[in-house]
Amino acid sequence: PAALPPAPLGFTDVNLNSRNTYEVSRRRSAPEHLPHGGGGTAPAAPAPPPQEPPERARHRLGIAGAGSSFAEFFTRNFFTKRTKELKPAVQSAPGWKLFGKVPPRENLPKDSKIIQQEYEARTGRMYKPPAPSARRKNIEFEPLSTTALILEDRPANLPAKSVEEALRHRQEYDEMVAEAKKREIKEAHKRKKIMRERFKQEENIASAMVIWVNEILPNWEGMRATRRVRELWWQGLPPSVRGKVWSLAVGNELNITPELYEIFLSRAKERWKSFSETSSENDTEDAGASVADREASLELIKLDISRTFPSLYIFQKGGPYHDLLHSVLGAYTCYRPDVGYVQGMSFIAAVLILNLEEADAFIAFANLLNKPCQLAFFRVDHSMMLKYFAAFEVFFEENLPKLFLHFKSYSLTPDIYLIDWIFTLYSKSLPLDLACRVWDVFCRDGEEFLFRTGLGILRLYEDILLQMDFIHIAQFLTKLPEDITSEKLFSCIAAIQMQNSNKKWAQVFASLMKDNKEGDKNHSPAPKN
Amino acid sequence: MQKHNQKEHLYKLLVIGDLGVGKTSIIKRYVHQNFSPHYRATIGVDFALKVLNWDAETVVRLQLWDIAGQERFGNMTRVYYREAMGAFIVFDVTRPATFEAVTKWKEDLDSKLVLPNGKPVPTVLLANKCDQGIDVLMNNGIKMDQFCKENGFVGWFETSAKENININEASRCLVKHIIASESDPVQSVEPDIIKPHLNSSKIVSCSACFKS
Repeated sequence: PAALPPAPLGFTDVNLNSRNTYEVSRRRSAPEHLPHGGGGTAPAAPAPPPQEPPERARHRLGIAGAGSSFAEFFTRNFFTKRTKELKPAVQSAPGWKLFGKVPPRENLPKDSKIIQQEYEARTGRMYKPPAPSARRKNIEFEPLSTTALILEDRPANLPAKSVEEALRHRQEYDEMVAEAKKREIKEAHKRKKIMRERFKQEENIASAMVIWVNEILPNWEGMRATRRVRELWWQGLPPSVRGKVWSLAVGNELNITPELYEIFLSRAKERWKSFSETSSENDTEDAGASVADREASLELIKLDISRTFPSLYIFQKGGPYHDLLHSVLGAYTCYRPDVGYVQGMSFIAAVLILNLEEADAFIAFANLLNKPCQLAFFRVDHSMMLKYFAAFEVFFEENLPKLFLHFKSYSLTPDIYLIDWIFTLYSKSLPLDLACRVWDVFCRDGEEFLFRTGLGILRLYEDILLQMDFIHIAQFLTKLPEDITSEKLFSCIAAIQMQNSNKKWAQVFASLMKDNKEGDKNHSPAPKN
Repeated sequence: MQKHNQKEHLYKLLVIGDLGVGKTSIIKRYVHQNFSPHYRATIGVDFALKVLNWDAETVVRLQLWDIAGQERFGNMTRVYYREAMGAFIVFDVTRPATFEAVTKWKEDLDSKLVLPNGKPVPTVLLANKCDQGIDVLMNNGIKMDQFCKENGFVGWFETSAKENININEASRCLVKHIIASESDPVQSVEPDIIKPHLNSSKIVSCSACFKS
């Protein structure tokens, strides 16, 4: 498909590369970037109306997976992307009368970002496909306005340009036009290339989906461990089967049924009711209540729910998934009062809710948290956590010796950055679509992959990190760049060898468990073999 | 650009307190001068760096450790507390339970961390979200001063990350005490005698720093 007409171009953009779409939407949905009720072109809130049943919302949002392209963003993204293409023609800032295209000014004080965003949206709309041919014309460089600036004679009250000067201006002008044309051609090539890649990507996803649905899922147990399936799995699960594959891979050792979920949910609801009846005045008297009770309390979960993916707006009060998240977490605290609610859980439950039906999400959640690594962390079993860190450091030193020493020199231990990564399974630190891809392989490879991913991140940024001091590394790793791409990250993860003198992760970990029996309290020095 | 005779101090400060009291918001306000009601929950620890031109000869670099508030993580905090020079303990004036927890946080801190001279680290108490808890503390000024004295806080402030109230002041207060405790390693600063300020406005309510 050499020259795609503009409309499908925008369309594919949204559908195929949901990753980028998501990225864009995520950044754009940040509250400070939202036009306050202003620009009619940009939808004010990305979330669907609260009264919409979650089921429908899920479909509409296309949340089944890869990071969910919101329907609303469809338009927004479409416009911004297109404006980008047109940039050379419309690059001039809004408000320049010179060009005769002045977007109507609004009186609200706005920051420049909002202004630009609105302007882009608006111009995007103005260029909204009249017809492919007309659009083509728009892209072509139109020198009229510039002519006005450069080639015009001077006003009558000034001395006229000399011949040389006029000539020079003419020449400069020609050069500018030529330069702009060159740039335009180059960008067109780039665009074409990107489109080709996206198209290919879409085909891949589509064909992978067919394989997953028709071949793999019906023969799950027989095929899941085959080389072909494992390789396909590594490429990332198609959004439409992602939840299903996660569920199957996580399994249901705990034999939880949807009915059981309902029972725990109603128990949780009863507790909340009695909690809100005895309410806050008695708070002080209750201060002596056990820690677990306090932690399971409504308040704690409530506080965290609205702080879970706040930029998506769907888990916050009034958002379509708020109650769902509340239910899943509440039911879990009743199901496992010994674990209770621990910060970080809300992120995991949220990702599952985005990919699975409510009861299935709960089942996957409970089983996922029952894995040894997750249980160690969510029970905050510190000595076990230190063993995980120690195992991580064995592979850290093996794979990235230079960076390992650099960190050592600042006593920068994994508790600084790994806690957040492991507790939320990267869903807080990586862009959501990328986190889902990490989850894909985590479901395939188990806990080992969580630590491998961590090393992949360190490898990806090794050169930058080597230049930084303690506080900057700590800041960097606890707030990773937002433009991290799956291609780059996964090629770095692939380059991480989970072998240490012929020992694999599980063996290294097991030997640490043995070794550390005596020196339990020692702080995570990695034993050398 | 630094002058040759300029001194530079690097201090690690802890920001602790119950879940959701606004620790991250206070730090964002202090370091980035902005506020959003949409911060994500902190898991583990987050970091920030603030550089203060303390006076003509002194630059102070503050390393802020924003530590997750859930009690459950108590076991892990020892690592985070290490080598800190000062601390803020934050509570939310709209949630009394978070104030109950203040003494627990203080005890936890003092049990895990002392200065090289054996003294507890200077700690300032922050009564955050004072823009919402209208007058909750207004009449409790004396009580609060008493509370600080009894529990070894060097001062307290009503703060609002949202409205940018008292955060710079609180930080200056803490840094002042850190510098004092550093320059006088044997006897640390005399605990400030608390002056009641019945008609104190919200804007300045640090018992410790206001008396001079």
